[in-house]
Amino acid sequence: MNNNQESDGYGISVFKPGTPSREKTRGIIFFIVLCLIILVQAFYWLFANAVEPIVLGMPFGMFFIVLFIVIEFITLLIVYLTEEKDSTKGGSI
Amino acid sequence: MPWITVTVIIFIYLFFVMFLGTWAGRGRESSVVEYIAASRNLGFVVMYFLMGGAIFSAFAYLGGPGWAYSKGAASFYILAYCALGLVPWWLWGPRAFRAGQKFHYVTQAQLFTDRFQSKALSVIIAVVSILAFVQYITLQMKGSAYVFEIASGGRIPFWAGALIAYVVVLIYVFYGGVRGVAWTNVFQGIFMVTIAWVLGLYFAFKLYGGPTEMFQQIAAANPTHLLVGPGSKMSFAAYSSALLVSVLGFAMWPHLFMKAYTAKSEKVIKQTIVLYPTFAIFLVPVLFIGFAGIMQVTPDVLGAPDRILPWMFIHMKFPAIIVGLVLAAALAAAMSTQDTITHAAGAIFAQDLVEPLKKEKHTDKEATMWIRISVVGFGAVSYLVAIFGGQTLVSLLLGAYGSIVQLLPLALATFFWPRATKAGAICGLLVGVLYNYGIVLHLIPKFWGIHAGIQGLVINFVVLIVVSLLTKPMDKEHVRKFVDL
Repeated sequence: MNNNQESDGYGISVFKPGTPSREKTRGIIFFIVLCLIILVQAFYWLFANAVEPIVLGMPFGMFFIVLFIVIEFITLLIVYLTEEKDSTKGGSI
Repeated sequence: MPWITVTVIIFIYLFFVMFLGTWAGRGRESSVVEYIAASRNLGFVVMYFLMGGAIFSAFAYLGGPGWAYSKGAASFYILAYCALGLVPWWLWGPRAFRAGQKFHYVTQAQLFTDRFQSKALSVIIAVVSILAFVQYITLQMKGSAYVFEIASGGRIPFWAGALIAYVVVLIYVFYGGVRGVAWTNVFQGIFMVTIAWVLGLYFAFKLYGGPTEMFQQIAAANPTHLLVGPGSKMSFAAYSSALLVSVLGFAMWPHLFMKAYTAKSEKVIKQTIVLYPTFAIFLVPVLFIGFAGIMQVTPDVLGAPDRILPWMFIHMKFPAIIVGLVLAAALAAAMSTQDTITHAAGAIFAQDLVEPLKKEKHTDKEATMWIRISVVGFGAVSYLVAIFGGQTLVSLLLGAYGSIVQLLPLALATFFWPRATKAGAICGLLVGVLYNYGIVLHLIPKFWGIHAGIQGLVINFVVLIVVSLLTKPMDKEHVRKFVDL
């Protein structure tokens, strides 16, 4: 992923040069998790195209979407907090 | 005379917002960076509402209940879209911020133009964005005009209602700049959210004894209303592709890019993204309002589904003060979007269209003046479109509206792919935009109900990559500047 090792310098470059590999792995994991959340939302009807059970006053489909909004929020919060922790080093996805 | 009370409340509200907006921008220097990017120092709370105001539009407030009422489960799309819209921003928001700091950009096109060294690109982006913005604003103006019409019992005609909202927004955008927009959005945001919750829950409990009972009754009366797919109002493919294209496209809107330049720090941008999904939660009761209407009125009696929110009021016999507050909230939704867009459109017209075409550069003071003039001109054009807009014009604007997502490959190439070239960028963008227009004007058939934007995007990416690889790479030192931000 790091174009520093590439000879011509024109390759796809996702991370800042010199990003530690631990941060890169973490970045990729978060990226995949967020992509999955987006896909689950887009294809929610595969999982929850139903009215019953009605949860918290919402039909099941609506509840499922709201649930994933909450999951998304928690995920983003975790990403933010872990990035803040070593923000001194910079370099993030 | 209840309508007088209602109208008076709305006008008090308008004066307050106008005062707040102009007051926020007082005593600031007159420079482009201040006017467009608030001297790059907006803090987290203001930033949050600035971004939120953009999505809490007349569409969400009047259209959301309308969708819930007429399309049922398809309206869940609005929730998911609001929640996810800003997520992709994590990839380029902070980078756009760093680019803005480093190279002193104030608009989105400036970034792409600098990266691809092309004034033509600036002009294409400016034209597409402005047409899309006109469409966007026209919707908001119609929303506000509607509010006035209902509030006054038809005594304030459509043209006058749209004009009043336009003038108020114009005044504080003109004087207050982005700072005025931001502070009015904080106030309007809090106001709207409070009203939405009180109302959504009130209707559900009052008319049905609670949301659970409400949905049970809806499902009993119309089993497919709360589902998507066959037999419902939206097919599986349409739902999924609409959501994907909206999520990808949302963070490409030029005004959001411009907001990246207004932030005080990268931290502020990330905080905004983290908290953005909360806006979607705030929208849940707005949909309840629409669902609550299903058992109360039939579509043919109602006319247009967007009238459901106002209809519910007129038939619930609320006191005039409450009706006034609710309508003021709907107006807030429309105006908080209108101000952001008007401001952005003015800035884009002056900076990305006028500036590159001029031989000599404007001084900072002149440039700010140009933006202010553009703000007024743009508002006037949108107003005329809202009042007189014909069918051809509408499809022209709709095409631009759908074309914004076509800027995505440019953003990704700028930040992640140094090999992308000027020719590739221009060809990709043009093909994507033209394809989208082809579908809007029915020149190209739509495949399997998949959203036109997604199809255009795939072609756009392919063209960008192929043409870039066929042309000579750009200067390495130059392109690395944008990747190594």
